[in-house]
Parts: sequence; structure tokens; C-alpha cells
Amino acid sequence: MSIQLLALAVAGMVVLAAAGLEAARAARARRLVTGATSGASTEPYILYFTGENCTVCRTHQEPALAKLGTVRVDKVDAIAERELADRFEVYTLPTTVVMTAEGRALHVNYGYAPAQKLDRQLAEARSGAKLERTATA
Amino acid sequence: MALTTVDHSALKVNQAGIIVTVLVAFFGSWVLAGNRLVLLLIPLLGVVLLLGTFAPRLALFKQLYFKVLKPLGIVKPRPVQDRPEPHNFAQGLGGVFLAISSVLVFLPVDARTSVLTVGLGLAIALLVAALAFVNLAFGYCLGCQIYFQLGKRGLIRA
Repeated sequence: MSIQLLALAVAGMVVLAAAGLEAARAARARRLVTGATSGASTEPYILYFTGENCTVCRTHQEPALAKLGTVRVDKVDAIAERELADRFEVYTLPTTVVMTAEGRALHVNYGYAPAQKLDRQLAEARSGAKLERTATA
Repeated sequence: MALTTVDHSALKVNQAGIIVTVLVAFFGSWVLAGNRLVLLLIPLLGVVLLLGTFAPRLALFKQLYFKVLKPLGIVKPRPVQDRPEPHNFAQGLGGVFLAISSVLVFLPVDARTSVLTVGLGLAIALLVAALAFVNLAFGYCLGCQIYFQLGKRGLIRA
């Protein structure tokens, strides 16, 4: 086998293994975090984990969050507030957590989450809250 | 630590330079089978990245951007409020991996073993290029994430 084909095969396997591990890690973290709690609010809100070193936060995530309009966004410095970051298994920045009005984590996005995706998750959080209100009324 | 203005176009040119150099070395060595001269580009790139990490004015691709591409209007500037440290860290990490790759590629071993060592060396160089591509195309910087993790664990002052 040529050296170059061997190199391509090794590099390809490393990329696939890394992608698989990343997917498994994110799935495990999501499982652990779903249901984790923070403060209650009148409306669903977003916990936004960021840091001074996070470039994607400034170039991509913050413009996406700005597109959401009046949604409450709690900005958290993942280094300064390590305990809260650990509770939400924050291993990469940015991380956004869509919280229900009751303060329960509904969706966790590790890495950049576009505005459309966040909008959809917030709508789900709102409809869930409506269903709960209807059920208890 | 305060934010400064980082021209992201300089970072993009740097990433493009890494990708092109590694691909030229890789496909050059494939086309010119048996000629290892073109593989010298890998240690050279490693030196360029490591030099640029510790002395930014020696960063070849960034200088190419600031001295040629930007003045000629070929690449437009993209200033962003940012910190340069994670990017420098990522570049240094790339340089270290290319140094390891160079050692493997030029390790004086017998012909049979060299298939393995050169293959592994080239694979590491390809991974550095792949990560540079991911950063260039999608803005995901693995080195910056490692920098964040080290800072979170208090191993560096992030």
C-alpha cells in the first residue's frame, strides 16, 4: 500500500473516531443535563455560557441570540461560574441551554446554535408550559 | 484580560496557508514518488507556525496578508473584538504537531518501517490541515477549545 493511502486512511479513521466520540459525549451530556434546574421565570429563557476567549460566541452566537428579540438571555462566564457550568456539563463554548419558565433545562446546544434552532426550541418550551398550565387548570 | 481588535482575515489567510502547504507536500510526495524533498515543506511549516506563535511579526502567512493581500485589496480586513491568545495557542499547537510529524517523516529507519513512520507523519500533517479547514470554513477552533478547557481546569491563566 502506498504511504499516502496509509496516511489518508489513518487521518480518516482519526476524524471518524473523533466525530463519533464528540457525538457520544454531547449525547451523554444532554442526557445528564436535561431536567437540571436553574431559577424560575415568567417565560422560557436561555442560559448562554460564554467566555472571554470564545471567538465564535462573539462572531456567531451573539448575533444569533440578538435575532431572538425580547427573549431573556442569561449570560454566564463559564470560567468564572464554574459550578454552574459543571452542572450543565459545559465542555465547549458557546453552550446554550433553553430553560422552561419553571427553570428546567429542556434543550442543550453544545457549540454554535443558529437563531432558527433556538427559536424552535423556545417555541417548544412555550407550548410545553401552555400544556402544563392547561392540564393543571 | 481586555479584548483587543483581531483581524480575522489574517487568521483565515494563516489557515489557508497551512492547508495549501500541507496539501502541496502530501500530493507532491505522491506524484514525485520516492522524492522526499517536497516533504521538507512540513518541517518548514512547523517552524513558521512556531515562530509566529512566539514572535507574531515572523508569522509568514499573516505578514503576507498585512504586507501584500490587504494593501492590494485582495483580502478585505475583518476586525473583531477578540483575544489573540487562544488563536496563538492553536497555532502553536499546530506547530508542535507538525514538528512531531516532521520527526516521523524524516526518522532514519529501514525501508519497511519507514512506510509506517512516514505514513503516520503524513497523517498527523493531514489532521493539522483538516483542523485548519474546519476553522476556516466553520469557525470551529479546536485549539481554542483546548485553551478553554485548560483555563477551566486552572492549568493556564485564560
